[in-house]
Amino acid sequence: MTAIARSKRGQPHPAARGATGRRRSSPTGSSWTPWAFLAPGVLYLLIFQGYPLVEELLLSFSSTSLLNPHDREWVGLDNYRDIFASPDFRQTLSVTLVYTVTCVVGAVGSGLGVALLLNAKFRGRGIARALVAIPWAAPTVAVAVIATWMMNAQYGIVNRALEAVGLGVPSGNILDSADYALPAILATTIWQLFPFCSIVLLAALQAVPKEVKEAASMDGAGHLWTFRVATWPVIKPTVGLLTLLMTIWSIRRFELIWIMTKGGPLGSTETLVIDLYSSAFEHNDLGRAAAIGMVGVCISLAVVLIGQSMALRAEKKGGH
Amino acid sequence: MPWGRYLRVLAVLAVLGIAVFPLYWMFVTSLTTDRELFTSSPRLFPDFSLTGTYSEALTGPVPRWLLNSFLIAAGTCLVTLALAIPFAYGLSRFRFRGKVALVIGLFVTQMLPESLLVVPLFAIFRTFGLLDSLHGLVLVDTAFVLPIVVFVLKGAIDGIPREIEEAARVDGCRPLGILTRINVPLIAPSLAATAVIAFFSAWNEYVFALTFIFDRGLQPASVGLASFIGELSTPTQTVMAVAVMYTLPAVAFYLIAQRYIVTGMTAGSVKG
Repeated sequence: MTAIARSKRGQPHPAARGATGRRRSSPTGSSWTPWAFLAPGVLYLLIFQGYPLVEELLLSFSSTSLLNPHDREWVGLDNYRDIFASPDFRQTLSVTLVYTVTCVVGAVGSGLGVALLLNAKFRGRGIARALVAIPWAAPTVAVAVIATWMMNAQYGIVNRALEAVGLGVPSGNILDSADYALPAILATTIWQLFPFCSIVLLAALQAVPKEVKEAASMDGAGHLWTFRVATWPVIKPTVGLLTLLMTIWSIRRFELIWIMTKGGPLGSTETLVIDLYSSAFEHNDLGRAAAIGMVGVCISLAVVLIGQSMALRAEKKGGH
Repeated sequence: MPWGRYLRVLAVLAVLGIAVFPLYWMFVTSLTTDRELFTSSPRLFPDFSLTGTYSEALTGPVPRWLLNSFLIAAGTCLVTLALAIPFAYGLSRFRFRGKVALVIGLFVTQMLPESLLVVPLFAIFRTFGLLDSLHGLVLVDTAFVLPIVVFVLKGAIDGIPREIEEAARVDGCRPLGILTRINVPLIAPSLAATAVIAFFSAWNEYVFALTFIFDRGLQPASVGLASFIGELSTPTQTVMAVAVMYTLPAVAFYLIAQRYIVTGMTAGSVKG
């Protein structure tokens, strides 16, 4: 976000102006010098991100299969009409919404709590901060495998622990139950995402001025009040940014769900990307897959645009 | 107020327990006997006499999987840095038309799920004979980690005073020389951090490897490990031992490089 705003800063150094006083576009060389640096990367991304995206857009307006992708039939908006008419897709959308909102609130919320906890001075703080980062560092596939094992009906530690405290899960695997699979996957996702949030928020908390905090506590303000007056204004932009990042990451998230449930049981964990992948590679319906993907990208774009405009408005409000 | 302090110690311990327990449990399970695995009171500490699980896990395809993961990750790391360093320099130091569009484009790539582009990339890869190849995976993995690495490195280069470059220019240094001799050494910590990010993003990658590799001997560890799920023939301890061997390098490197990664990411892309 801010990366976009920052790009305006690339003004040339005064010394970089030409001998004639003409403003040059770069420190040295002609106006295409920057492109000598940028071209390889830009071309690379055009080939591996830009072109496939355009292809996918075209695919979403056509009917074709994986076996002969060049044999395409133009069908206009049929794919979109089909997915929006199907109740399965409505379920997919609602699962995606529940998954995304819960992940974002859970990860950013618990991340903030942990960051505040670890921001205080205490012995072993460095070790605690390092250990808390572990879930973030672990490969998602390994996390999915461990989580599946821990939630195994007969031998899994989760079922045993729940039983021990008297909260027996109904018979069978947690991940085979249409009621429990989504909460189980949500818990695993939040476990994996909250460390990133708390690490970033810990960095943001360093910027909270001590004097303001001390002044607030000298006035006899409670913890909550100090947080509202001294801490929140400083970390608010970071919280906003994390919310945006977590939203995009949750909408994109594939492998954890795919490995743990493949979207089942009964579609109870089927998010957009799971639906997209199984449409393409299990049902061989590339047009439908592409249309689902485009809906997902539009949702992400909308979220980013809304987030960006909210950030801009907040900036303006804080400006005067 | 000792009570408040005890409460905080308890809370910290609880958080650390939640963060560490699943990985600890994976390790314990890898060192447990069959009988203990299936009793009602599971063993809570590893039995170090059972390291045989690991030598058992290392027979068969597992070393090959780990090697494949390593080759893909190392390749991705090299290609990503080779493309990202000049890219970030160009973005940081020059003013040019289309810059804002380029930065927005870079940001948009963050919103494209791998599973969206996997279909058209599959077609491209088939046309060029890149399916079932490790270098094919290097090519796609690079495309997905490149934008974030560019943002982080751009942030680092932004922080280098231009005066240093000016001095080098006066001494007759060409733009490319300024980049390699002045900037690269100065952003070494960020380079190390982004190298770790690129390496482990490819080490962890699953979707493309799952879709583009059919030959079991060419699979990386992510796909190999996931294939154990639902496969009844592999003992749980072996699966967990493979998971440990696959997880440990990533966690170790992240812990070592954590400071730089956090600084780099907060300075480069997250904060601003």
